[in-house]
Amino acid sequence: MVYTRKDVSTLTADERRRFVKAMLEVKRRGEYDEFVRMHIDHYVSDGEGGLRTAHMAPSFLAWHRRFLLELEKALRRVDPSVTVPYWDWTRDRTATAAPWTADLLGGNGRASDRQVTTGPFAYATGNWTLKENVTDGEFLTRDLGRSANPIELPTAAELEWALKDPVYDTAPWDSTVTEGFRNKLEGWGTGRGSAAWRNHNRVHRWVGGEMLGGASVNDPVFWLHHAFIDLVWTRWQARHRVHRYLPAEPPGEASRQYRRVVARKEKLPPWNVTPDQLEDVSGIYRYA
Amino acid sequence: MVVDVDGVPVSTRQPGPARAGTRREMLRGLLGVAAGLALVPVVAASWPPGPLDGAHGTGGAGGAAGTGFDEVYRGRRIRGVLTPAGRSAADGAQWEVTVDGRPLHLMRRADGTWLSMVDHYRSYRTPLEAARAAVDELGPGEMLRGSDAPAYGDHPHDMGGRHGLHA
Repeated sequence: MVYTRKDVSTLTADERRRFVKAMLEVKRRGEYDEFVRMHIDHYVSDGEGGLRTAHMAPSFLAWHRRFLLELEKALRRVDPSVTVPYWDWTRDRTATAAPWTADLLGGNGRASDRQVTTGPFAYATGNWTLKENVTDGEFLTRDLGRSANPIELPTAAELEWALKDPVYDTAPWDSTVTEGFRNKLEGWGTGRGSAAWRNHNRVHRWVGGEMLGGASVNDPVFWLHHAFIDLVWTRWQARHRVHRYLPAEPPGEASRQYRRVVARKEKLPPWNVTPDQLEDVSGIYRYA
Repeated sequence: MVVDVDGVPVSTRQPGPARAGTRREMLRGLLGVAAGLALVPVVAASWPPGPLDGAHGTGGAGGAAGTGFDEVYRGRRIRGVLTPAGRSAADGAQWEVTVDGRPLHLMRRADGTWLSMVDHYRSYRTPLEAARAAVDELGPGEMLRGSDAPAYGDHPHDMGGRHGLHA
């Protein structure tokens, strides 16, 4: 049965309540913190050795697609009606819009220590104590819009700049590529200005707090953000139908990327699944 | 640091399998550094004003050519030491950076810039800039995880079996 992921701004009160309740239950069971840990452990930078799967790599989109499916499975074990909603940050662009409401993710962090004190993920509820983190902080933090040096969320035009690139990704398949849909969406740029972080990366930066660091999964908005990134991938596929995940074949021994990226039909750790198998999700879910 | 013509540390050419061990070794090294430090009390009653995105690191201090730094930045002690980290020559040199004695894990990008675990979705020209940017993000009294935290990469796949993550 194909299920539907919805725009978070369109959820009914009941859908919001069920999503929040399922998230809190997955957290209570200890499963959530394993997702946080897993994301930390799979962050391999491209200036270091080793296989990159989750970031700075062609499989950025496929890895997070699978990661989302795992969280969604955990949520649906709690409540089979729940799916992960997406946050279209080209439309909901302010700190008071969806999903930052008290009946969903709660709002911005307070000025003194950026602690999120509203909504179901506030520390005082006792239901959302951070266990896996880069710091010893136990409460969720946010700094929506980066108060000290404000930035804007990516615009529809910036997203379109990524979407219109017909090539999925290109050599050297890392954070330095300036062409290809994948990195234009992931958002690694060059230089020091705002062009240095685009689209996906810029949203992490705009939310701030936990979302800025390696333990970004601690903020539930991680999933809503990545559901939208995943939706954008499906839009790109629909627009460029003859184009597919690249590289089709693994880089050879002579390449600096030898054994450092996942080609279309190679296994994508930690799962026994390939990007090829993850390209078509129409049998699992659709986006409304 | 041994750097090849492309500006990428030679040590980065090592393929994956040794990585987790290298990180454990690095963490042990960092803990050694931390143990040798007198901890500087953090005096921060409220969110400190200070440098902003991209506003620091205008050159010189702690630059790419340096071999270490030691400064108090916004009330935090930042130390960085370039050390021969690995057990073998192939492991090359490594930056060991601490904030108030706690290890700050830095990663290198292919363009030679640096990012930290605290500030993970952009990169900085030097380890010092990355360390200062990490301090910018720490709340009053907030500390990096200490020795009781799991080393990054120690158990990368441990959730696969238990929660059916495999297809």
